[in-house]
Amino acid sequence: MASSRSAFAILAALLAAPLAAQEDIDHKIPPGYVPEQGPDEKGIWMEIEEYEKAIQQSALLVKDPDLNNYVSSIVCRVAGDYCNDFRVYIIRNPGFNASMTASGVMQIWTGLLLRSRSSDEVAAVIGHEIAHYTRLHTLERLRSVKKSMAAGSIFDFGITILTGVNVPVGQMTAILNVLSFSREQETEADFLGTRMIAGAAYDPHAAYRIWEGVIAEEQAAEVKRENPGIFAATHPDAAVRAKELKAWITATYGPPDAELVSNIEHIEIMNRHYLFLMEDQLDTNRFGRTEAMLKRHAEIGIEPSLIRFFYGEMFRQRGQEGDLTRAMDAYRHSIEGGAAPPEAYKNLGYLHLKNDEVAEAQVQFRKYLERKPDASDRAMIEFYLDEEW
Amino acid sequence: MVSILRRSLLGIAFISLGGCVATTYTMVAPGTVTVEALQVTPGEAWNQVPPMLSPSSRRTTRVWTRDGLLLDRLVIVPGVPDGEPIVESDRKDAALPVFRAGMLPNEIEELTESSIFKLFGEGGVSVNTSSLRPHRFGEHRGILFNVEVAVSDGPDYKGLVGSFIVDEKLYMMMYFGAEPYYYDKHLAEAEAIITSARLSGKG
Repeated sequence: MASSRSAFAILAALLAAPLAAQEDIDHKIPPGYVPEQGPDEKGIWMEIEEYEKAIQQSALLVKDPDLNNYVSSIVCRVAGDYCNDFRVYIIRNPGFNASMTASGVMQIWTGLLLRSRSSDEVAAVIGHEIAHYTRLHTLERLRSVKKSMAAGSIFDFGITILTGVNVPVGQMTAILNVLSFSREQETEADFLGTRMIAGAAYDPHAAYRIWEGVIAEEQAAEVKRENPGIFAATHPDAAVRAKELKAWITATYGPPDAELVSNIEHIEIMNRHYLFLMEDQLDTNRFGRTEAMLKRHAEIGIEPSLIRFFYGEMFRQRGQEGDLTRAMDAYRHSIEGGAAPPEAYKNLGYLHLKNDEVAEAQVQFRKYLERKPDASDRAMIEFYLDEEW
Repeated sequence: MVSILRRSLLGIAFISLGGCVATTYTMVAPGTVTVEALQVTPGEAWNQVPPMLSPSSRRTTRVWTRDGLLLDRLVIVPGVPDGEPIVESDRKDAALPVFRAGMLPNEIEELTESSIFKLFGEGGVSVNTSSLRPHRFGEHRGILFNVEVAVSDGPDYKGLVGSFIVDEKLYMMMYFGAEPYYYDKHLAEAEAIITSARLSGKG
């Protein structure tokens, strides 16, 4: 213990010199700043406008006012006087990402909400993006993109952000090269973003805790990503970054609370939207990651019936030895919790069928239809309720 | 659809450079067509898509279109063995879901949903299935269900899927059409092909 403490002290001392300079990092632009368009930049700004229109028309744009109000309120609280400079769009994508354009278009993927354990952690990522904007990194990056794509269109690059990670590798590499912030810019955004969230009375320790969660998920992944995605690929190594931030934040704001405590607003918003958020995650077929997420959701107190339902889904779809029993137990626990979705009864019924327990299956199928009389798969369920089959 | 779209365009570029014969579309005439052990009966002529333009397909899969690959497609997947995926990917980290011989209707529906999620480009798409219902393919019990695919930067798609399992192998027919217009335009023909699919010599 003593040796690890002294190791920490040495590390802190090593970090102290460069970190002290971070205190001087401040916004470079005032609220309401409109970038001056260079004589040859008209086209690029028009494309950015088009890009925003494409987002507005995207089928994956989340329009739900409840979720939008939640995220926008965090953006405004973190941004303070800069609040009106941003338009916030939530995109339905279970990946971990947030991004900002030089025109103030902020995208938040639903996967960020799935990985945030509190409003503080959502705020931390938002603060980071705002800091890139107010430090003019976003504008500088845009101009470097224009330079490197002099003969082409940046619209494709916008579309790729919208699209996610799964584009041909060669193209992805080209795009990442022009998208990257420098390591220095990332560090600046980390520190300024943290100061912003602390100033808005969010927990500054969330700035590295969100990364710790992402690292834990990566370690739990059964299939590692060949390309870790735009956010991870363009950001400094997550473990180093989390460690550096933790040292500086602890030195500046004091040690973290012994236990991570979420906030009611975050839990309630997650409970209200949990089904659609997690259904997208299930479609990824990435069980290790899903399980890591469910563990974190249980730790912060998301409705246990919902979490157990998705444990049931995850075990059932993974299908390893013993998973069928685990899934049945999870569905039963979900139902016992009193807030199970109707599908918990249905999928428990299907597992009874697998065990040739037809009568038990039919009991669950009837309960499913009682709870969801307008179920679109009623014909399938009634087929199994028919004694003749 | 993005990955498909981009790959398709790459494919087209390659063809125009190489002029390779094996990459051209071929006509599928009306009448009974055998795809491995599966028999389907188009009532109208379709265009069979060259494998190069459909790199996510299994070797035995056939992809047909009427108005073009991005507007409508009929995918015929004959006999996927236990433990194999219904679509393919050259990415090692694709985490494709695989077919299991003991799958029940809800699991085939989920397998399809997750496979379409991968096929259209993970992260750039949202897939929902509905109206799972029983259907007989000749002497074999099977299922039908509807699909809706929302793509980040393309048209929305609607689809119809028919599937059944015989001798631990999965047979699947999927139809997708862009919304609005193209889905409805070919639905009747596609539905007739899907619902009348039979195992050859047994149906």
